Amino acid sequence: MQVQNRPHLLHLNSISLLQFKNYLQSDFQFRQRIVGISGKNGIGKTNLLDAIYYCCFTKSYFTKSDAQNVSDGKQGFRLEGNFHLNNTPQAVTCVLRETGKKELALNQELYVKFSDHIGKFPCIMIAPDDVQIITGGSEERRQFLDTLLSQIDHDYLLQLIHYNKVLLQRNALLKSFAESRRVDENLLQVLNEQLARPGAVLFEKRRVFLQEFIVLVRKFYQQISGENYPVHLEYISQLHSSSFKELFDSFHEKDLALQRTGGGVHRDDIAISLGNASFKAIASQGQRKSMLFALKLSAFEVLKNRNGFSPILLLDDIFEKLDETRMDNLLNWVCRENNGQIFITDTHPERIHQHLGNFNSVQFIVLS
Amino acid sequence: MQLPSVLLENAVNEFARLPGIGKKTALRLVLHLLKQDATDVQQFGAAITKMRTEIKFCRRCHNVADTDLCTICASASRKQNMICVVESLRDVIAIETTQQYNGIYHVLGGVISPLDGIGPDQLNIEPFLQRVQKEQPEEIIFALNPTIQGDTTIYYIQKKLTPAVVRITTIARGIAFGGELEYADEMTLARSLANRLPVENYVANR
Ligand SMILES: Nc1ncnc2c1ncn2[C@@H]1O[C@H](COP(=O)(O)OP(=O)(O)O)[C@@H](O)[C@H]1O
Ligand SMILES: [Mg+2]
Ligand SMILES: [Zn+2]
Repeated sequence: MQVQNRPHLLHLNSISLLQFKNYLQSDFQFRQRIVGISGKNGIGKTNLLDAIYYCCFTKSYFTKSDAQNVSDGKQGFRLEGNFHLNNTPQAVTCVLRETGKKELALNQELYVKFSDHIGKFPCIMIAPDDVQIITGGSEERRQFLDTLLSQIDHDYLLQLIHYNKVLLQRNALLKSFAESRRVDENLLQVLNEQLARPGAVLFEKRRVFLQEFIVLVRKFYQQISGENYPVHLEYISQLHSSSFKELFDSFHEKDLALQRTGGGVHRDDIAISLGNASFKAIASQGQRKSMLFALKLSAFEVLKNRNGFSPILLLDDIFEKLDETRMDNLLNWVCRENNGQIFITDTHPERIHQHLGNFNSVQFIVLS
Repeated sequence: MQLPSVLLENAVNEFARLPGIGKKTALRLVLHLLKQDATDVQQFGAAITKMRTEIKFCRRCHNVADTDLCTICASASRKQNMICVVESLRDVIAIETTQQYNGIYHVLGGVISPLDGIGPDQLNIEPFLQRVQKEQPEEIIFALNPTIQGDTTIYYIQKKLTPAVVRITTIARGIAFGGELEYADEMTLARSLANRLPVENYVANR
């Protein structure tokens, strides 16, 4: 049973943006649990959601480098999100200095390690291009999985950071072998062992987590799509059948030739299938969207169960994505059956009014 | 910045090349020197020039030295069979400041980091292996920063050392985690030197 009357425990009260993308200086107050944001294309709806996401993750959902988040022609940006968490005020400040140095503070106290922030303010974004998670390469699905696991398991995040750093070193080493035409097997073996240690932890954590998560995704998929086709999800990893040592041995020649590491959990994937065929190959547009929402809402559910409160949900342009019935089912689920804060954007103020008008605690913001 | 003299400008530019010194600070320092007696400034310049041209590196441990052997290696009161392996001179200074260590050192000159183009050949690793062969120390203590590169370096050297000849330990690095050795306060550093762990244990605990 959902607890509907209890006040939601994580709430963003306000956000200030300074030189963040198209916002030179803006403040927004969020007084309600459901916030509908409308405005014409290019006005900054997605950027506003991204600013919220940034406060939760210390990075943008969309851009790869912080320089891209700075307003054109300016230097540095500042974001301040004023949250309420368990009825305690929490101020998150993200600053990119003119020098390119980044600072993150919680209640004016600077973090030494940004990774300590991840998971404190759980948040899920659903954006138009996210269907890439279904149709794109394995990297998209790994990133989805990593973002989720990092929020519920701090050790996972630390192991992942560690693994990625060692992987970079190992690839650089392979490159240096090619340049000097000499292979230092001792050093390669040291890096193999350093990579295997966090790698084995990541594999085990992913394996255990996905067992339950996959069941959840299938349940949501059926609910959202209303169909009974046999969808399957499977955790794909070389580690199912080989140890790291065996992988490094079997990829040895190939790694040296390609100057890149062929074996490891950075090659993992989640295979999605419909019947006996690959999902992305045969699924319709509608089925893809249903699968995307199933993945995201499963993530929402996992975060909620883990934390005891709902994550913040950022829904960008979703009216474009689902047909009316699916849309209303979904809105009912996220707005009525859950007690978390939800931000929804759309280009049409009327459409957003029409869909959200039936709920309590709604605030409308029109950007112009 | 508009300066009325090329001589002044050159001096400011030189200062500004130092780490942590911007143009403004550089100008302040130069203007300060300008107010001093010429002989004092002469001495100042001479000390720096002399330091750079005459300084030696100890042929045994690669620490700075005024002669072939550094004062630590030459000291009769230091345990000559205990070698602490560090990354840089700064680490020697940090550990010496604790006054808790009575052995000798080996300065690697960095840590292995393929990403930065630093392999074993760029460091004083081979000289270290030869040194260990020759001196047969009783204990080797790794006091490297708690980073992946620090780990790589420890494991690599350990692999190259003839097994079971010496006791190999590492300072308890969990304590200094996040901070670099030179920033660890003296107490912490002293404590982690005292509570050093065999390298095998350290590996298993990670
Ligand atoms: N770094 C930046 N500096 C200035 N403007 C930016 C920057 N990044 C994006 N923009 C602008 O933001 C606008 C897009 O905002 P967006 O949030 O995507 O709009 P929408 O309301 O359609 O979601 C574009 O006009 C784009 O040029
Ligand atoms: Mg948009
Ligand atoms: Zn010496």
